Amino acid sequence: MNTLPLGISHILAVFYRQYIVWRKLIWPAMVTNVGNPVLFLFAFGFGLGRFIDTMSGVDYMSFIVPGMIAYAAMFAASFETTIGSFTRYFLLKNWDAVLATPVSLRELLMGEVLWASCKAMISAISVLVVGWLWGGIPSPAGALISLPFIFLSAICFSCVGLTATAYASGYEFFSYFFTFWVTPMFVFCGVFFEISRFPEAIQIIAWILPMTHIIAVIRPLCLGLPIDPIMIFLHTTYMFVLCVIAFSLAHKKMRQKLFD
Amino acid sequence: MDAHPVVVASGLTKRYGDVEAVKGIDFSVPSSSCVGLLGPNGAGKSTTMRMIMGLSTLTGGTMNVFGEPIQKLSRENKARIGLVPQETNLDPDISVVENLELYGRYYALPIDIIRERVPRLLDFMQLSEKSDAPVNTLSGGMKRRLVIARALINDPDLVILDEPTTGLDPQARVLIWKQLLDLKKQGRALLLTTHYMDEAQQLCDNIIVVDGGSVLDEGTPRELIDRHVKSHVIEVKKPHVAKSTDGKWEQEDIGEAILYFVHNPEDLIADLPVDATYLQRHANLEDVFLRITGRTLRDN
Ligand SMILES: Nc1ncnc2c1ncn2[C@@H]1O[C@H](COP(=O)(O)OP(=O)(O)O)[C@@H](O)[C@H]1O
Ligand SMILES: [Mg+2]
Repeated sequence: MNTLPLGISHILAVFYRQYIVWRKLIWPAMVTNVGNPVLFLFAFGFGLGRFIDTMSGVDYMSFIVPGMIAYAAMFAASFETTIGSFTRYFLLKNWDAVLATPVSLRELLMGEVLWASCKAMISAISVLVVGWLWGGIPSPAGALISLPFIFLSAICFSCVGLTATAYASGYEFFSYFFTFWVTPMFVFCGVFFEISRFPEAIQIIAWILPMTHIIAVIRPLCLGLPIDPIMIFLHTTYMFVLCVIAFSLAHKKMRQKLFD
Repeated sequence: MDAHPVVVASGLTKRYGDVEAVKGIDFSVPSSSCVGLLGPNGAGKSTTMRMIMGLSTLTGGTMNVFGEPIQKLSRENKARIGLVPQETNLDPDISVVENLELYGRYYALPIDIIRERVPRLLDFMQLSEKSDAPVNTLSGGMKRRLVIARALINDPDLVILDEPTTGLDPQARVLIWKQLLDLKKQGRALLLTTHYMDEAQQLCDNIIVVDGGSVLDEGTPRELIDRHVKSHVIEVKKPHVAKSTDGKWEQEDIGEAILYFVHNPEDLIADLPVDATYLQRHANLEDVFLRITGRTLRDN
């Protein structure tokens, strides 16, 4: 079963399963994935914004909106492929049910990633719209151009989350994941202020985390500032490579766990 | 229909770390028949079934399913197997119909075929009234029936049933038996595990008794009964025993009583002391099972 060509319909079937279950439980899902980042946006935009007028020469609200968009995507994708996927695999035994059909493990995992990434886009776009209504998006055209990059980052975050799921032996494992992966991306990657304000060691860590790269692409776009295409290429390549590595690791580990 | 058996396994082995769950077993499942895999907990039944599904890699041996080695099973042939897993793994938050329709999608079935099959399967498993009920509101028996219906969504030629009736009431079991016999009549191959010997006797054409990962014996229910427990069992309360103690009788000490396995009950009864208390009955698969796998508990 591991040499099969990928079947789009099989991947979409997995995606569809998450969609119809999500539809039933849409309100709690919305609260987590939209309510949460929008609240952060208000708290920081208005709370902190009262004390900080500008950051690196731009209006603080406009500075923070792209950061919150990236955070929304990162959090939703990470949550979905960790707590969400792990629940389907471990608690519901949903993966056993799926793998008893012609869907291969690779297709199953791709369906999970695709779903998590789409869910992340819902969060990101919600924050984008709220931020825009609040006047925090100087360049709506740039914001639209940033969407495919956000989607790539969402795939990247989803794949890394899936790797955590593959290595997790129980839910406790995810407290490490959230403490050492998700939270650092929230605090060190330039959501609230330029990472250049950090000591050099922390800046190095920040550049390892994919969050820094997606913010580096979408912030100038949303602000309508110029951005070097070569830098865009480097940032997206980094996220893409991370995706491929994380997905391969997740697939390999999950195969061992499920089939060996 | 295939001329070959649907499943042929030889020297099938599975090791989990230090535990050898399946120790080189041989068996085959012909089409249009029901093969029972009987054995106490931990015998390796589920592991064997998972290997047929491609859900567990083989440590050793070979297995062909629909004439293809399991490692290279094509998507088309994988789709010809339906699995009722030991653990019910339905989607609890969505409805009965949605569970079935979704399963059809995993097989990449066109939606109109799914829409046509789902009501038929619900009817087959007598779940039609529950069509729109969320799965988490169903009783255990209904969930089990739904899992069976789900396994049939792609009209499989091989149906693997891992304890399909464990924990169900007699009514539900009888319905399931009837429908499984129907599936067999339609030409499908069934591979079944169960802890209910009456079920195995009713449904199975051939039975494989496994324990500790090895095959202990196999044959038709009748053959197994004849071979191991003759045709009648006479349970004699201790302290009385048959007068001929020279190994004339095939017997087993079960603590408070002695079981005698005989073809002619009259001969043994004549050999009992006049005041002996005894119970006479036809031998069944349960007697075979306990004789060849022993009476000690396995879960501990
Ligand atoms: N994933 C697994 N990892 C380790 N050991 C396992 C696993 N699955 C089953 N086993 C062990 O293999 C043996 C056979 O299990 P199983 O096939 O479930 O038996 P049965 O279905 O006959 O009750 C048992 O000792 C069980 O503990
Ligand atoms: Mg079992």
